[in-house]
Parts: sequence; structure tokens; C-alpha cells
Amino acid sequence: MIGQVLGHCRIVAKIGEGGMGTVFRAHDEVLHRDVAVKVVKKDSALDQTASQDLLQEARASSALAHPNICTIHEVGESDGELYIVMEFVEGRTLHALSAAAGLPSDAVLRYGVQIASALARAHDRGIIHRDLKSANILVTPEGLVKVLDFGLAKDVGATVLGGSTRSFATQGNTESISGTLSYMAPEIFRGQPADYRSDLWALGVVLYEAASGRVPFEGQTGFEVSSAILREVPAPLGPPLPPGLWAVIQRCLAKEPAQRYQTAAEVQAALGAVQAGAIVAAERSVERVIPRTTYLHNVRHVRVRKGDFLLLVGTTKGAFILKSNLERNRWEVGGPYFHGESVYALAYDDRAGRHRIWASTHSYWGTLLRSSDDFGKSWRTPQEATVRFPADAGVSLNNIWQIALGREDEPDVLYCGVEPAALFESRDDGDTWSLVRGLFDHPHRPRWMPGNGGLALHTIVLDPSDKQRMYVAISSGGVYRTTDGGHTWTAQNCGIRSVATPNKYPEFGQCVHKIAMHPERPERLFLQNHWGLYRSDNYAETWTDIANGVPSDFGFPVVMHPRNPDCVYVVPVESDQFRCTCDGRLRVYRTRNAGASWEPLMRGLPQKDAYETVLREALVADSLLPMGIYLGTRSGQLFVSRDEGKSWERIIEGLPPVLCIRNTFIQETAVGSAKAPPSDTTPQPSSRRAKSTPSKSAAKSRRRKS
Amino acid sequence: MPVTIHLPGALREFADGRASVEITDPVTTLADVLAALWRLYPAIRDRMATEQGQVREHINIFIGDELTRYTGGLMSAVTTGSEITILPAVSGG
Repeated sequence: MIGQVLGHCRIVAKIGEGGMGTVFRAHDEVLHRDVAVKVVKKDSALDQTASQDLLQEARASSALAHPNICTIHEVGESDGELYIVMEFVEGRTLHALSAAAGLPSDAVLRYGVQIASALARAHDRGIIHRDLKSANILVTPEGLVKVLDFGLAKDVGATVLGGSTRSFATQGNTESISGTLSYMAPEIFRGQPADYRSDLWALGVVLYEAASGRVPFEGQTGFEVSSAILREVPAPLGPPLPPGLWAVIQRCLAKEPAQRYQTAAEVQAALGAVQAGAIVAAERSVERVIPRTTYLHNVRHVRVRKGDFLLLVGTTKGAFILKSNLERNRWEVGGPYFHGESVYALAYDDRAGRHRIWASTHSYWGTLLRSSDDFGKSWRTPQEATVRFPADAGVSLNNIWQIALGREDEPDVLYCGVEPAALFESRDDGDTWSLVRGLFDHPHRPRWMPGNGGLALHTIVLDPSDKQRMYVAISSGGVYRTTDGGHTWTAQNCGIRSVATPNKYPEFGQCVHKIAMHPERPERLFLQNHWGLYRSDNYAETWTDIANGVPSDFGFPVVMHPRNPDCVYVVPVESDQFRCTCDGRLRVYRTRNAGASWEPLMRGLPQKDAYETVLREALVADSLLPMGIYLGTRSGQLFVSRDEGKSWERIIEGLPPVLCIRNTFIQETAVGSAKAPPSDTTPQPSSRRAKSTPSKSAAKSRRRKS
Repeated sequence: MPVTIHLPGALREFADGRASVEITDPVTTLADVLAALWRLYPAIRDRMATEQGQVREHINIFIGDELTRYTGGLMSAVTTGSEITILPAVSGG
């Protein structure tokens, strides 16, 4: 070949030989630069179709511009010979560098971050490497990593192990096959197709090898290697390897793709964290730092007594506590609490005799979950964030969107829905939290897309009749349901239309804004989508469009009447472009027939020049008789209806934009307390979690009188 | 000569009310300085950094007058007597 010209490159010298072919140093006679030319072996097992595939892949890979990817300049065919012209990189392979006893941890991290970054770029472009191995990674004398041969290896169906096991290798060279085998993911041996997570497995092997000088799964024969990959756990790599790096490698080497990192960017972030982790992850206190209790002296507090009714209001600039009595017609305002911080989620926990307010606060300084047992006079603030992603997760907490109480008979259970979309659970009354891995490791997660407010899990709905069943809603991921207490989750979006995907009814990816369930009919759920109003009567198996007569089916909140499973409230806004109430009129819409028809509720609400937005947590119903409903706007107004929405009054204006509202009636004993029978003439408390429903006729009679 | 860290108001409550903290441990990088600060006052760490070890987006750290975002981030060199200032960025709404 020496002296031959391929395209406009004159071959100068042979520099290597691999499974795919021979690599030559060459000189580009047009652009006057040195290049590497890989000539694919003529005796390759590639048939005509495979050759064309290879060409196509190489062309696609040539579009990858990234400092850690060896650039492909040109691909071509000359006299039936396939060749690939690449950037000429001077350096040694990672395989050679780590051959003796492995590299120091800082070098492994430095190179690992670059390899992961290269994979992240390629995966973003839909290109899987398929043959990542230390021999395909060059390190320049300056320490710059260059990953070679992106997307060039093809599964050509060559049987290298017998049976259904296939190899990626393009060439039947035994040495190259065994070299490649060590990096192959278990799913390949199981006959499943490779995806980007197979590359992440290979990255785990590469990191293991770089750290130790040997691959994690070894054997004398291909069968032994594959058997080890499928069944064995790698021998642990102990100190001086940082535990964080070992954790990353282990997660890359999870046998099930769903248990691995789901994106290369996550691996990159996790390695970066270990790198910086000298300062963060590794230095977390072994012992928990006791939360601080802060007494707020310069805040106007409301004095709360038994029989008071409270509204907890979260805004973009702090939280407020509004106090009234059962009449709900005079209001005293306390706050602002968490001056200047956004409060996206609030909860009131009266289980087990508590009177506890939970608040999530978000600012430049991070997101924290805080609690108060004295109605805001003092707040328990964790010194170290309690809701946090583990270091190996590859992501960091951006915000807490919902705080949900566990079931009545699990008074120490709490949940948080967070951004980036994930679910956290506490079983010790909020002292410690853990990531619900069953959902976080869901194979769909890498394909969830952030909505306008970020990629958030904003809604958590527990089925009170079945401890194993629970729903979450994700923007934009859709509705997910577990029926085994959170271990596994399934997408439940059948019938929900997606406007943001070519397939209008995808399995997942819908931008669900809110779901609501009536506790006494847990099979029934209502859903406000990013365009679309739906009902399910079969535990979210299927959804039916119920936008029958609303001026727009775009909106955020959906609220159930606490005693009537056919009665639901929404606030339509004009469109996703113009997220304001239709025609400048603030109207709540109510259905009393489960969505067969809707009626506008407007008396007392502004009906002129009212371009308002009501966010997903800013419409809530209370549990009193008659039912009250509360509405907060982004313009900082708060309205109340004490007659189930028929008429409204403004409670306050001038608040910062309202993000969430919660309400509670303060009782001495919260759990299992006997309530006085409701009177038809005066407002009465009604157990929030009462198991019995007043008879329909009684409810109807009460409604008439109210 | 120690390295001095000037804290913004929001962090002082986690450092016994101090406006500045002196680090006498041997340090060569900003990462060393922060690690020493967080050993002294653990609550400051989560307010400054994400779980992934990145300094939060709207927090700026200066060595002298230089913003460390442009001088190597956490690997920025620190010398004896350096004055380090932590400030929230000018942003928000």
C-alpha cells in the first residue's frame, strides 16, 4: 500500500493493524496535512449491504465534532477497497498506558470524564460506539483523550461463540474478537440489541481496566469471558481508588441496562463529582449534622388556636400563613416566611397528633426541606440537605415541586417529587430521605424531556385503598404507576394526546400538568394535560377526553370535590403560547357529571382585563361543609369561594406570584377524632380523610341550602 | 499567612455569624480552601455546591479580584495570604 493514493491521500507508512483493517499514516495532498487512513480488510466478512452500512455509519460519525472524538475527514471506496480518512493523533492507547498496574486515580478520572463527554456527544446525535475499548482510546502526550472508530463496528452476524451469541466485531480475527468480547455488555450475549447503555457498560470496563490494569471479566476462552460477564461480579477495587470512582464503575457494570446510568452525561457528571469530590461527596459528615432551629422574630406571625382555619400560601418570594375561622370571611396574614426564596411546595401534616408545616425553599443557595411545629414561629432547617441525589446518580437537585404525606396508617411516611424528575421517600418522619430507584432507573427516564418549568415530577397520588398502588406525573414524561409499592413503574398514558411528538399517542412523553383522584373511588382519576382534559375510570389504564365545553383544554390545576367523585374544577387558559385566562376573564370551570359537561363559575371573579394564570398547585379545595375552594394567581391575588365555587371573594391582592396553596382546619386531635355531625346551617369541619361519605341526598340538600 | 474567606450575609448564620473565616491549613487550590471551610462549617457546603460537586450556578467565588469561573474553577491556585470572596451573582427576578 505504501505510496498508493486513496482519494487525495498518499499512504506513507503502516502504523497499526486492528480487527477492522490496517491503519496507515498518510499525507493529504490537497489540504497538506498528515492524516490516518484506515483501510478495511478485503477479506472482511462484510457483504455488500454491510459495506454500505459501514460507509453510512462512517459518514454519520464524521459529523461528530468534539475535542475527544477522533474526527473522520472522509470515507470512500477505491477499487472495491473501503477506506476511512481520519485525524492523525499522536499518542498511546489507553490500553497500553494502563497495561502494567493501572493508572493513578486522578488520571482515570481525567480520562474517564473525557471519554464520557465524547460518548455523550455521540449519543446525543444518535450514534452508538458499539466497540468502545481501551485499544480504541488514544491519549495524547498532553493528556487529551481521543476516542476512535465511533459507530464503525457493525454487528455482521458473525457467530463467534456459537448459538445465538453474536459479536460486534467486523472481522473474524480471534485476537480482536477476544479483545472486543471483554467489553461487551451482558444484553448482547443475551441476544438483545445494543443501545447507548451498552456503551456505558464498555465505559465501565475501560475505567476498571484503567484503574487496575486488567479487565473485570476474564477467561481463557470466549465462553469463559461471556459467562463471567453474564454471571459474575467484578472483583472490588479498593483504596487508593476513591470510593466514589468505584461506585461509578459498579453502576456502569450493572448487568441490567436499566440499572446503569441512563446517559453518558450522567457518567460524566458523576466522574466530575468524584473529581471535585475531593471537596464534596467524599467529605460529607459521617454523622448527621443536627438541623438548626431558626426562630423568626422579625416576621408577623398569626396566633393559631384550635378551631382556626389556615391557608398556607407559597409564592416566588416566600410563604404566607393566612388565618380565618370556619366562616372563612375574615383573614389575618402572617409572613413572609423565607423572605425572597421560592416556595414551590407546602404540606400540612396532622397525622399522629402533629401540627407540622412542611415547606420546600428554593434560592441561589439550593433547595431545602424545612418544617415548623409552631405555625411558623420557628423552623427546623437541615444543615446538610436531606433531599439529595446520591453522588453516583449523576444529577443534582434543582427544586422540590411537591411534598406528599404518606397514608394515614403510615404517619412517618412522606414523599417529595423533585426536579430533575425523581421521587424521594422518607420513612422516618422526614429525617432521612432516599431516592426511589425503581422510578429513577426506569428505562424511559433518559427520554423524558423538560417542559417550560424544567423536568419535574410535580404530582404524587397515593391510592388509599391499596398500599402498593401509587401514581406520579412528570412534565414531560407522563403518568407512571406502581402497583408494587414503588419497586417497578409503568407508563399509563393510553389515550392522552401529545402535541410535542410526531406520534400523537406515544407510550410516554406527555406533558401532564396535574392529576387528581377521589379517595373513595380510587379507580377514577382526572387529568389536566398540556392541551387536554381526561378522565380514567380504570386506575389510569386508559384515558378518555372530557373537554366537553371548556373554552380551552389547556390549563394547570385539576381539583376534586372532596365528597363528590363526579365534581371537578379546572381553570382553562388560552394556550401554551398565551398562558392567560381566556378573553381576559378569570373563570373556574366545574363539572358535576365527571366531565360530560362543564359550567363556568365567575361570580365575584374579575371578568374584564383579567389576564391571569393559575398554576398547578394554586387551586385547592377544603374539606369543610359547605366546601371552600381557593385560587391564587400569578399576579398575587387570592380568592375564596365558600359555596363550592358559586361565588368568589378576593382575600388579598399584592402577594408575589402564587405558586401553591394548602389548607387545614386546626383540630386538637388530628387522627381518628370524632367529628360533630355536620349542620346544614353553619359551616362545619369535615374529616379530611373520612371513610364515609354523606348520603347523596344529604349532600344535595346541603348544597341547595348553601 | 492564612487564607481569608469573606462570606456573604446568607452564609454567615452557618459560620457562627462570622463575616470572614481564616484558613490556616496548607492549601494550594480553591478546592482545598473550600474543603477546609466546609470542615469547619459543614452547613455551608450544601448551600454552595450541588451533590455533583459543582459550585451552584449563581454563586461566584473570587480570588482577589479574579472570578474563579475563568481561572480554572475549583482548581484555581491559591497562595498564602489570598483573599477569597464568595458572592451571589447579580441575577434573578
